[in-house]
Amino acid sequence: MEILTGNELISGGTVYLDREGNWVEDLQAARLFSKEEATERDAALAASKATGRIVSLEAEEVEQVEGRIVPKRLRERIRAAGPTAPLSLNGQAYDRQHLGEDGHVSI
Amino acid sequence: MYRYDEFDAAFVAGRTAQFADQVKRRLSGELSEEQFRPLRLMNGLYLQLHAYMLRVAVPYGTLSSRQMRKLAHIARTYDRGYGHFTTRQNIQYNWPRLKDIPVILEELASVEMHAIQTSGNCIRNVTTDQFAGAAADEIIDPRPVAEIIRQWSSLHPEFSYLPRKFKIAMTGARHDRAAIRFHDIGLQAATNAAGEIGWEVWVGGGLGRTPMIGKLINSFVPNEHLLAYLESIMRVYNRYGRRDNKFKARIKILVHEEGLETIKGQVEAEFAEVRGGVLTLPQQELDRISTYFAPPPFAAQSVTKIDVAYESIIDPAYGRWLDNNINAHAQPGYASVTISLKPVGGAPGDATDPQMDVVADLAERYSFDELRVTHEQNLVLPHVAIADLRAVHDALVAAELAEANNNLITDMICCPGLDFCALANARSIPIAQEISRTFAEPQRQAEIGELKIKISGCINACGHHHVGHIGILGVEKKGGELYQITLGGDATEAASVGKIIGPGFEADHVPGAIEKLVDTYIAKREAGETFIQAYRRLGEAPFKEALYGTA
Repeated sequence: MEILTGNELISGGTVYLDREGNWVEDLQAARLFSKEEATERDAALAASKATGRIVSLEAEEVEQVEGRIVPKRLRERIRAAGPTAPLSLNGQAYDRQHLGEDGHVSI
Repeated sequence: MYRYDEFDAAFVAGRTAQFADQVKRRLSGELSEEQFRPLRLMNGLYLQLHAYMLRVAVPYGTLSSRQMRKLAHIARTYDRGYGHFTTRQNIQYNWPRLKDIPVILEELASVEMHAIQTSGNCIRNVTTDQFAGAAADEIIDPRPVAEIIRQWSSLHPEFSYLPRKFKIAMTGARHDRAAIRFHDIGLQAATNAAGEIGWEVWVGGGLGRTPMIGKLINSFVPNEHLLAYLESIMRVYNRYGRRDNKFKARIKILVHEEGLETIKGQVEAEFAEVRGGVLTLPQQELDRISTYFAPPPFAAQSVTKIDVAYESIIDPAYGRWLDNNINAHAQPGYASVTISLKPVGGAPGDATDPQMDVVADLAERYSFDELRVTHEQNLVLPHVAIADLRAVHDALVAAELAEANNNLITDMICCPGLDFCALANARSIPIAQEISRTFAEPQRQAEIGELKIKISGCINACGHHHVGHIGILGVEKKGGELYQITLGGDATEAASVGKIIGPGFEADHVPGAIEKLVDTYIAKREAGETFIQAYRRLGEAPFKEALYGTA
């Protein structure tokens, strides 16, 4: 299975294409594409690219573990959750970038 | 400290306005990402895993307090309250938003800073010895020449689209603290038979997937002809450097494949054409630039020596800091102070905005308003009166910046790795954090002595793992991380590239492996022998046996 992911233009934040065709921050809301849905996946990629609002678009392989979407690559798991190295400087944990109010777009 | 003239100011202001317009057009949709990407990269703006990353140039690693305060302000206002100082003596912000970049660049321009040529296939920010203009072992302050190279190379029309990026490092001291033999061009101050000062020129060094030590192409180029000589090298590289294969495009490959003598012949032929022309540097101009780097108004000091042994009895923590983080100064009564950005458990090179403000205040009060960024991801107060060291130390303690580990095992170089970098294959910061926790005990660090660990999260070697006495390279294997260990690297004038010692380790086992290497060194070293000296004497066998049970 695959999901579509990219970075939102203004914030650079990690986003996923959901089942309604919106780009959202929640990996668990991502639409799953089966191998048989390659045509739809490519159409969604092309449509997203045409908006110019999502960059670094990629299809990523995932698996479902106990009902949750888990990317196969460590890189993608880090993109979804944020850096793994706790930031000791301010005693706060890193989180990933989040969208601003203008960051949610629909294709 | 160099100050922009009207040309510099107009150039940076023009570029800032130009990029602001490009961002505006990108946000409006007038520019596509394909059109915008090369434009943003020319202004140091990358898109990483979680966010944009802005790389800001710190020319030859020199900063004023005003500039450091501005960097803190940017971290506080437009980022997440910290910045990351890099092996290129730059600073990177990991979390800026695209819409804020134009105003960040305006803020930078207001203190004579920018992000131009911190990315792309151009001549990058020139780096130098962090103790330039201060070190006791210095022949000449390299920064006036570095500034001239900066002016020559900035937006050079012929060298804006080179086959690959191009890095120049220089040192004016005998001891190489700028890793010049691992740059595309390395410059080392030299004297000729007449006693004149010029430059040894080394070419074709570099790290990455094909690490190479630079080769001496000219043992003495006078100041007045240096730009002409550099231009000659750049022309040969621009003409013959491979553009068909990104991995073979650096000048090190050209020099390796064609041979030094062939390249030298071409450079000398070009030099014969260029020499004596418009690139001849007038002594008057060199003198003018040099006035900006004149020594500060040092005062006669009554305290000219540090009794480290005595101070260590009174206050062991202060004694350790004096022992490790102080560098000899050319001016009696003064010292250079290394401010460690390697706290135990921290991310090497990171500093918070309050810490940057504290360092700026200390520079203003105690170091003639000067600061340096080191290629080993620390900061330096270059000119501190010995009598003021205690006050500086106490202020650093309060700011959690007094880690007394300069050149020790926890003073690691570490790239951002897979936690941030879009190119990385493995994480590196957590590895550094765990190693520093493993060796946190100051007495143990002191017992080990000088030992340089350098960690990269991919083969591009931003963490300089090839030249670590112990190098650690993160690679991807079957979807997981694996860490290869190299031994015997050295970035100094005794340059060497480390050798992979055996199969890689999983992340959890890396600190244990480092402990075995350290224990082997301690068991087998001779009196006064550092790790790298012991490794060179002993060879890899005992270390390999310690790690794998077989030589």
